[in-house]
Amino acid sequence: MRHRCFVVTMMCGMLLALSAVKPPTVVGQGAKPYSPKRMPDGHPDLQGTYDLATLTPLERPPGMKPVLTREEVAKIERAVAAQVDEGAKPISGERAAPPKGGDGSAGAAGNVGGYNNFWLDPGSTYTIVNGEIRTSIIVDPPDGRMPQLTPAARQRIAARLLAGAVSVPNNDRGLETAPGAYDDPERRPLGERCLLGFGSTAGPPALPNYFYNNLHKIVQTPNTVIIVNEMVHDVRVVRMNGQHPPKHIRKWMGDSIGRWEGDTLVVDTTNFNADQIRYAVQAAPGRGLFMVESLGAKPQDRLQGPSQDLHVMERFTRVADNALLYRFTVEDPNTWVAPWTGEFTWPATSEQIFEYACHEANYAMENVLRGARRREIDAAAK
Amino acid sequence: MKTTILVVTAIVLATASARAHHAFGGEFDANRPVLLKGSVVKVEWVNPHAWIHIAVKQPDGKTEVWMVEGGSPNSLLRQGVTKNSLPVGTEIVVDGYQARDHTLKRANGRNITYPDGRKLFLGSSGTGAPSDGADPTEKKK
Repeated sequence: MRHRCFVVTMMCGMLLALSAVKPPTVVGQGAKPYSPKRMPDGHPDLQGTYDLATLTPLERPPGMKPVLTREEVAKIERAVAAQVDEGAKPISGERAAPPKGGDGSAGAAGNVGGYNNFWLDPGSTYTIVNGEIRTSIIVDPPDGRMPQLTPAARQRIAARLLAGAVSVPNNDRGLETAPGAYDDPERRPLGERCLLGFGSTAGPPALPNYFYNNLHKIVQTPNTVIIVNEMVHDVRVVRMNGQHPPKHIRKWMGDSIGRWEGDTLVVDTTNFNADQIRYAVQAAPGRGLFMVESLGAKPQDRLQGPSQDLHVMERFTRVADNALLYRFTVEDPNTWVAPWTGEFTWPATSEQIFEYACHEANYAMENVLRGARRREIDAAAK
Repeated sequence: MKTTILVVTAIVLATASARAHHAFGGEFDANRPVLLKGSVVKVEWVNPHAWIHIAVKQPDGKTEVWMVEGGSPNSLLRQGVTKNSLPVGTEIVVDGYQARDHTLKRANGRNITYPDGRKLFLGSSGTGAPSDGADPTEKKK
């Protein structure tokens, strides 16, 4: 049964990456003041391609201390390396088909399993900020956890569930119970439709997805900063010193305007698209702010979802020739009892982003919708 | 003991966080397990999922072309895999589940290996390029 369950596959993928990738060495965060390379306009050059993949979760796991020692991290890596070797081992070429009725695997892929770990790149190291190996991206509140939802937010999210605006998984994994969930492509989640990267890869805030495709590319001019997200090829356009449009104008990933505070680029984002908000469901603890799929058990325990008043402030600072510090504050008094702040290092990479080109071969959408039609025919025949 | 807890925590985080681009359970039928042995006729290195097309010989001697769903190709490419890493004619073995619409010869590539059971693309040589599949003659019967 080895390697036949999606969870194990995920685990092996993580372990594989742990062993295969060296920790990013970030220089310039010591005592000496760092002087970044500058653009012709005098502002720091933030350009480059960055790999956001990290083992540091958004929220700190209960009982974990905020900072790990190098010895503790090294122990983790050694422990998992053995499992990597195990996961890479061959299986029988003469194996049988998997069991009828499902292979019993849990997780996102449900009981039909997922795919081999060699496809994955979930992150290999904990993020290091100011020399500290962090166990959560969230730094405020100090416990590393999102603040509590307001009572109004709980009601709103419950109402969304009842209205079927958010699909709820049932016991047949991957088959949501929301009315009409498979009636047409527009009822499918945004990620499945290739409209936005799933999880919070698009953001803002831009967060790791702990799975694959975590590259972001920054292109900078005096008037505009472009942030390209590998996942689903989302592109954010930040207008420097601009003004937000009226509230009724809503955009994917919000409307972003930028300004310089010293050597830090500050990006202010509001006016999020209603659909992005509507699907803003956090499917698993420690994950993103925006969630465009709804998978996993007990979703009502895991829901997060900002309101249309969501306001995100991001701060990009070059801290080394090979790294940016990314810091963000999320504010939405309709949703959380307090603002919250996170930060993690974006290590530069020499790798290129392979264009995502999601629509052209999105056979999965066709397969999912055809599968639903098949179930309707079968149900009618009974 | 502490290490064990940390490792477990890290693994739980990764597994709890992982998800596919879409719900595989909505796409594939748990009551239609398949084992496919065939040779590669085409590979679509595309997103959101790569698709490997294989010609599978039937008991009556005819061949059927099946499409096998994999993951996103992006990280594979960064591991040194190229469009030449899985040449046409390569024999592979796939286990998975057929699409819920049974008229489609499509399945998820739950496990994709060479006939001897080695996982695809693993066992890279020192160059960083995968040695598996690099030599088509090695794979042809």
